[in-house]
Amino acid sequence: MHRFEYYAPASLDEAVALLKEHGDGVKLLAGGTDLLVQMKEAGLHPPAVVSLHAVPGLDGIEFDEASGLRIGARVDVASIESNDVTEQRYTALAEGAGIVGSIQTRNMATIGGNIANAAPSADTAPPLAVFDAVAEIIGAGGQREVPVIELFDGPGSTILTTDEVITGFKLPTPPANTGSVYQRHTPRKIMDIAAVSVGIRLSLDNGKIGEARVCLGAVAPTIIRASDAEEALTGQAPTDALFAKAAELAQAASSPISDVRGSAEFRRHLVGVMTKRCLDIALERAQD
Amino acid sequence: MTTYSTVGKPITRVEGSHKVTGDSLYAADIQLPGMLHCKLLRSPHAHARIVGIDASKALALEGVERVITAADLPTFSEKRMSNRGYNLLADDEVVFNGQPVVAVLAETPSIAEEALDLIDIEYEELPAVLDALAAMEDGSPLARKPIMEIDRSEAKGHVSVDVKEERSDKPSNIASQAKFSRGDIDQGIAEADCIVENTWRSAMMHQGYIEPHSTVADFDAASGELTIWSATQGQFFVRDQISNMLRIPETKIRVIGMELGGGFGGKIFLTQTLTAVLAKIAGRPVKLIFTRKDDLQGATPSAGCVVELKTGMKKDGSITVIKAKIVYDSGAFPGASAVVGAILLGGYYRFPNLEIETYEVLTNKVSVGAIRAPGAHNVTFAIESQMDMMARELQLDPLEVRMQNAVSEGDAMPTEVKYPRIGMKECLEAVRDSDLWKSRGTKQNGNGKARGVGLAIGGWLGGLQPASAHVELNGDGTVKVLVGANDISGTNTSFAQIAAEELGLPLEMVSVATGDTKTSPFAGMSAGSKTLFTVGRAVKAAAEDARQQLFDIAAERLEANPDDMESFEGEIRVKGSPDKSIPFRRLAGITTGFGALYPPVVGKGSITARKQAPGFTAQVAEVEVDEETGQVTLLNWGIVQDAGFAINPLSVAGQMQGGATQGIGIGLWEEMVYDDEGKLINDGLLDYRMPTALDVPNIATHIVEVPSEEGPYGARGVGEPSIIPGAAAISNAVEDAIGVRVTEAPITPERILRAMGKI
Amino acid sequence: MAKLEVHYTINGRKHEAYIEPNLTLLDVVRDDLRLTGSKEGCGTGDCGACTMIVDGKLVTACLMLAPQADGAEITTIEGVAENGTLHPVQQAFLDKGAVQCGFCIPGMILAGKVLLDQNPKPNDYEIREAIAGNLCRCTGYTKIVEAIAAAAEA
Repeated sequence: MHRFEYYAPASLDEAVALLKEHGDGVKLLAGGTDLLVQMKEAGLHPPAVVSLHAVPGLDGIEFDEASGLRIGARVDVASIESNDVTEQRYTALAEGAGIVGSIQTRNMATIGGNIANAAPSADTAPPLAVFDAVAEIIGAGGQREVPVIELFDGPGSTILTTDEVITGFKLPTPPANTGSVYQRHTPRKIMDIAAVSVGIRLSLDNGKIGEARVCLGAVAPTIIRASDAEEALTGQAPTDALFAKAAELAQAASSPISDVRGSAEFRRHLVGVMTKRCLDIALERAQD
Repeated sequence: MTTYSTVGKPITRVEGSHKVTGDSLYAADIQLPGMLHCKLLRSPHAHARIVGIDASKALALEGVERVITAADLPTFSEKRMSNRGYNLLADDEVVFNGQPVVAVLAETPSIAEEALDLIDIEYEELPAVLDALAAMEDGSPLARKPIMEIDRSEAKGHVSVDVKEERSDKPSNIASQAKFSRGDIDQGIAEADCIVENTWRSAMMHQGYIEPHSTVADFDAASGELTIWSATQGQFFVRDQISNMLRIPETKIRVIGMELGGGFGGKIFLTQTLTAVLAKIAGRPVKLIFTRKDDLQGATPSAGCVVELKTGMKKDGSITVIKAKIVYDSGAFPGASAVVGAILLGGYYRFPNLEIETYEVLTNKVSVGAIRAPGAHNVTFAIESQMDMMARELQLDPLEVRMQNAVSEGDAMPTEVKYPRIGMKECLEAVRDSDLWKSRGTKQNGNGKARGVGLAIGGWLGGLQPASAHVELNGDGTVKVLVGANDISGTNTSFAQIAAEELGLPLEMVSVATGDTKTSPFAGMSAGSKTLFTVGRAVKAAAEDARQQLFDIAAERLEANPDDMESFEGEIRVKGSPDKSIPFRRLAGITTGFGALYPPVVGKGSITARKQAPGFTAQVAEVEVDEETGQVTLLNWGIVQDAGFAINPLSVAGQMQGGATQGIGIGLWEEMVYDDEGKLINDGLLDYRMPTALDVPNIATHIVEVPSEEGPYGARGVGEPSIIPGAAAISNAVEDAIGVRVTEAPITPERILRAMGKI
Repeated sequence: MAKLEVHYTINGRKHEAYIEPNLTLLDVVRDDLRLTGSKEGCGTGDCGACTMIVDGKLVTACLMLAPQADGAEITTIEGVAENGTLHPVQQAFLDKGAVQCGFCIPGMILAGKVLLDQNPKPNDYEIREAIAGNLCRCTGYTKIVEAIAAAAEA
């Protein structure tokens, strides 16, 4: 790694001030599992690194029925994987968190970092999106909240300005009779990056699908909601034919590229197969 | 059957606990006062002329000691430069992406890294030759200057074959070629009831040792002595090469083969000479540790290969013909074992009619080198898949068809050399009796997933190299064994067993040490499945020599005939008179104490190995294939291997499981992927996928023992065969499961879906 | 680039180092503190050879900046045996023939130890899951899994 100036601010204000002072090129460090790889092997050489490890207020997973779930940005994904509330109420998120890297990676990687790194294959991104998660952001200009699905504007790129920090995520309480799932396709069972990922949430209302969220990862420059599929599902009674149609619509929404992890045709095929399978699982879980 | 007290037993390793406590020292653990750190700037082009190098900015960076280019290095003849090992840094032309061009020496690794970014190199790009088949065509651009000489000394450490390679007279990308013929091809085709013809592709893959290439060198200008601490499978080979290249007498070179973090043929000789030269230039010790990216881009991986194969079989299962063309992609320098591939492709079965052409072709990719059984897995994927396809078409049992045609003692290889006694049929018999093989077709498919079972065999001829060892009686009656072979995976334990066996001692009275090139007796490289096969014999001979010396001394003391002596449980005694005995401790006293009556007991063993002992394996894969995603899950894996005689069955089983797992990696995941410009795309361990613990099942082992002629106690080399048949066994299991054949390894979900016509 | 002072408690002993901030925890432990049992196999968190236990959690020290771990309690392979007695996982690796080249072994043993600390009777799948972040190229994992299972029985 090249050398850099290192800062470990003791407050958010201090962190934001440092980011503003250094401007472009400064990098925020949380868990480090993405950033250090980029700095070692991908030619990223920031002149300054601002570590969040001493900043208070970025931890904690809190839930109540009225306001929903709040996850601090620095919470490691292992803690999200093993949390009772996420496991039971936000299953897709626990599944996404549980499949990042290895045990070692999950102990270090943070949810804020996983999102801010903005990989289209980030395993916590589709789960956050299907629960309509909102990112809390603080910057030199004050605070704002942005839905996670709107955070990204390209591979590795977010709409955050250089002085902004994600401090946490808010997820509304899911309606009753909700089932969710996250799956990804990787060549190996673990220690891998999604070639295709699918997050689904179905919330049932009197036997019909009241709310549907279908979010795809690694098949477009950012994660995407398959809105046509969601619309087709909403208000309908769940059937095999309906799910097959939704899977087709999800395929149509995807625009994968060919790269070392798979060709475009392969990925588009998997979007169909996996969307259908995930819809079945989400329905089963919603009916439980 | 002879019974033994120590050899043949599953012994846990004797060298102690260092490897579980973190105390073992590997090359990267060496830190010397004043040591500089080296980083290499590599070519970003597959083929280009170097127009100019400007290192002024790098030199100006504080902490940068030297910036070295080819102009600063010793030069070698143009002939020598045909070989990778002499190309320390690229001179006027780069021939693969990742080839080292500049070496930076700095006070810390980070400063050296920063300096790399400050070096400006102007290149003039040249046409890159990336596809081996296209490279063979007339009119293809040349990947490099014509090859003038090929040094096969490193490859000979893995396998000994005596075949004359041909070289083309006109400039071409074909580095070497050979052709083998037997019988009448047309007749063989006419006689067949079934002809199968396919093109089989297998990817360039990496040995995947977890420890990257690592070397530390120190040159003492006053004495002219060079010391090298290195991760190598062959310290004597490194010494000899450096001596030749740098014209330093071997008396002035000490190569210390450190604990080795895996080699698999890929860690013999690569960075040692460069590091030595840099240390000499700088006048300070130099450490060169590859990053993983360095290692993937610029070491010596295993060749990719295309096999065009036509085979025929009669309804009764007898094979009639093989016609094949094998093309190994050797990268930018010679290094692929084209001849060995041909011998194995046509050498597992008794083909009456045979014609095999084999080529080693140069391209602008990193040049390849040895791997566990270099070249074997590629051709085995082809022939072992095709044996199944013929059996399937003729509705014959795939195992019985193999049994019917298998080579055995006296059968000819494609070279017409006759096989010695081998255990291929015994391996197949063991598979036939196994529960896994018998379970074929009995298990239910479910969840849209199909199960299948596949079988494949593999064989390896093995390397031959002389070896020597010392066995010495210590002052307390214990014994020390000294060898020069680098112990990668537990061979020293087996040497201890051999010495204990021959001397009639309990194992704990024997210790084994690997010395360096200045202190230990000569050994060949730990490669070619021959460490135990050759150095083990030397240890046995040394122990026998020591035993004879002990018998002579004891006989004189006991007033008996040396021929009547025996060694038993730490004593030398007269056969039939157990009360007439002398313990080792006493013998030690009278051979090492002050005023000793007798000279010290030092047994010497020096052997040369002339007869190969080919090792065979048969492996069975049980897979589950998801027919919608193409995902293959391994449910069970069984490996049978002929060890000749398993001196340490625990260690033999470990070799079998490890090799089988690499074969599985070749079959399902491992592939070095290059883009259209010859740049390696997957240059890290995230996308160069080696199997994790979750990807492979428990691997069941079964050792068969068909004794070899020359090996100690009949042992054969066991390191290499296990890697060979993985891809073929998976290919056969996948066809058994879903009825389609994938002809390209690794057998990825995408390739399966394409074969099924789903994408 | 300003140097920093970092303090670690490693294997129960206090250490301090005065370092450049661009070093990883692995660099400092190996090169400055000379505890070389932890290995670097990839530098990118993909092989697990550099595994350490930091504040009770298994991490890949090649991806942790040295200053991030300031003040941490760290266990490396050198601290697993106690008073000269091997930890049951270490002993089982020897007994079961789970060690070949040894380069992955320090990380494997720490992963096995953390697993057994949290789950004293793991099944085969749980063992494999626990060591999935640690690549081994020599053994094919079978004997490593057997060793961890045996340590759980010890």
